[in-house]
Amino acid sequence: MSHAVMAAANATIEHPSGRRGLARRRREVRTAYLLLAPAALLVFGVLAYPVGWEVWTSLTSSFVGGSAAAFVGLRNYAEFVRDAEFWRAAANTLGYLVLTTVLKLALGIAVALLLSRPFPGRPVAFIAAFLPWAYPGGLGLVGWYWFMIPPLHNAYSEFMSDLRYATDALLGQETWRFLTLVAFNVWRGGSFVGIFLLAALNGIPQDLFDYAALEVRSGWRKFWMVTVPLLRPFLALAAFLSIVTAVTDLGHVYLQSGMRITYPIVWTQAFHLAIIGGEWGKAAAESLILLPVLVLILFVCFWLFEPLEEDPL
Amino acid sequence: MKAARRLLRLGHGALLALLAAYSLFPIYLMTIESLKPVEEDVFGSPVYVRHPSLEWYADLFEPRGWISHGALVTPTVPFLVWAKNTAIVFAAALAVILATSLAAGYALGRLRPPGWRWWRRVLFATFLVPQTLLFIPLYQLVFRLHLDDNLLALVLTYPLLAIPFCAWLFSAYFQKLSPEVEESAYIEGASRLSAFLRIVLPMSWPVVVAAGLFALGVISSDFMLAGVFLPNTWHQTIAVGLATMDVSLEDLTVVSGISMGGLPMLLIAGLFAASYVRGLTAAMIEGA
Repeated sequence: MSHAVMAAANATIEHPSGRRGLARRRREVRTAYLLLAPAALLVFGVLAYPVGWEVWTSLTSSFVGGSAAAFVGLRNYAEFVRDAEFWRAAANTLGYLVLTTVLKLALGIAVALLLSRPFPGRPVAFIAAFLPWAYPGGLGLVGWYWFMIPPLHNAYSEFMSDLRYATDALLGQETWRFLTLVAFNVWRGGSFVGIFLLAALNGIPQDLFDYAALEVRSGWRKFWMVTVPLLRPFLALAAFLSIVTAVTDLGHVYLQSGMRITYPIVWTQAFHLAIIGGEWGKAAAESLILLPVLVLILFVCFWLFEPLEEDPL
Repeated sequence: MKAARRLLRLGHGALLALLAAYSLFPIYLMTIESLKPVEEDVFGSPVYVRHPSLEWYADLFEPRGWISHGALVTPTVPFLVWAKNTAIVFAAALAVILATSLAAGYALGRLRPPGWRWWRRVLFATFLVPQTLLFIPLYQLVFRLHLDDNLLALVLTYPLLAIPFCAWLFSAYFQKLSPEVEESAYIEGASRLSAFLRIVLPMSWPVVVAAGLFALGVISSDFMLAGVFLPNTWHQTIAVGLATMDVSLEDLTVVSGISMGGLPMLLIAGLFAASYVRGLTAAMIEGA
């Protein structure tokens, strides 16, 4: 049954037909729109101009300090498709998103399972697992910068530099900074996913796990055939939120490092094009170019976490 | 059998210890660093401190412009001003986020106007707008509204980052919360508003806490918007203020500032962590 039909069915169940019922429903709908308005205004109203600007700019030859921007259609996008540098950045971006998401989900499941059953000292372990996410990310970022890219000789800088040169020698230029970026995101995000999944585990009736466990004996198979399917909608929601924060963190970390991370990733490349190169048109196109992929991910996630949006039985 | 169980428990304990160590290590490193006198910062060990002192914390609240630590003279920072700015912005943005998300969530989950599922999904989908370059047009917008270099610019833009998920959370919760909760109040003639304020809201506070902590987490990790909208040192928040420092040997000021700024958030998180989990469970699965 489609959502619209279900909503209509709900409406008729709650409000039997009849003139008074209809008038009441109309009032309710009006109230609903009134209540929705401030949130919608703060989100869509504030986003409308920036998004419109970005889409429009991506279709022009806008250049800081250049003459009036001309409309160039999809040329900016087309140029990226032929650009080998862009494809390298796109591959890195995919790698970054997959790597951080897989690590965060794995870590999150582990944390949630470790904390799900009562044991002495659980509150303490729980708080410890919660803190990486609770620690203000903006401040943590400044700390990350001073530790991972130490500015001068101090107690830890030599050790960190050694680590960096060793990593870069082993895995290629700039890998260290990329990995620290991953570490920063995983440390924060893994904690978020863990606590999020713990909340899910707390809500799933233990019986469901027990019944399923009767069917499946071995621990590893039990994990894949019972735990993961039961957690699937929550995993999807967590994965989506974690991808969003991974993208945001990327921008922040890049900015805080004084744009010193030269490991090319699509959005940092766009940032570089805009701020250093002044090529706003191309930069806007590059920042939007992955949108279809993100929308695809969103739809898969919507489909996976649909059970969370269902009415209770 | 008994030995196997003991082994299992031991493994569980070891993993928990590992988890705690991993979670706390970066915070520990930063705290250790902030307690070091200058000599130890240069020659000491990264993982422990021999002569801990609170001098750098004291400096954060020092009104004079320059401070000497033996041979080293460092500039002080207007930490109290930053802390005040941060508190104002966070409190105001949080209030706006919670009030609007709660209203929107109630509308979508309880009143269900036509197309409510789509409203919810479109709201959620705004998460996808790439933030990389968003600050350029957002700055133009803020500038045109004459809000540049004004804390209000952040109060206006932060809700954007948190409302989508908070509204989703509230609407999922109200969708699952049984309508019977308010019905007795309606029978006694209470209005929708008073039933909401007297019955629904008091029993829903874990969800409010969950949404609130999520929102705080999101806005306290922002860095870009605050940096772009507030160029003036005296109008900055703690994170941006500290981030603009880039001179070696100011590192101790920075690290103690981070610890000091992180402390209230850690207290809030510790206090509300359990309710946060309960609220998420209630919204995603149970209702109440």
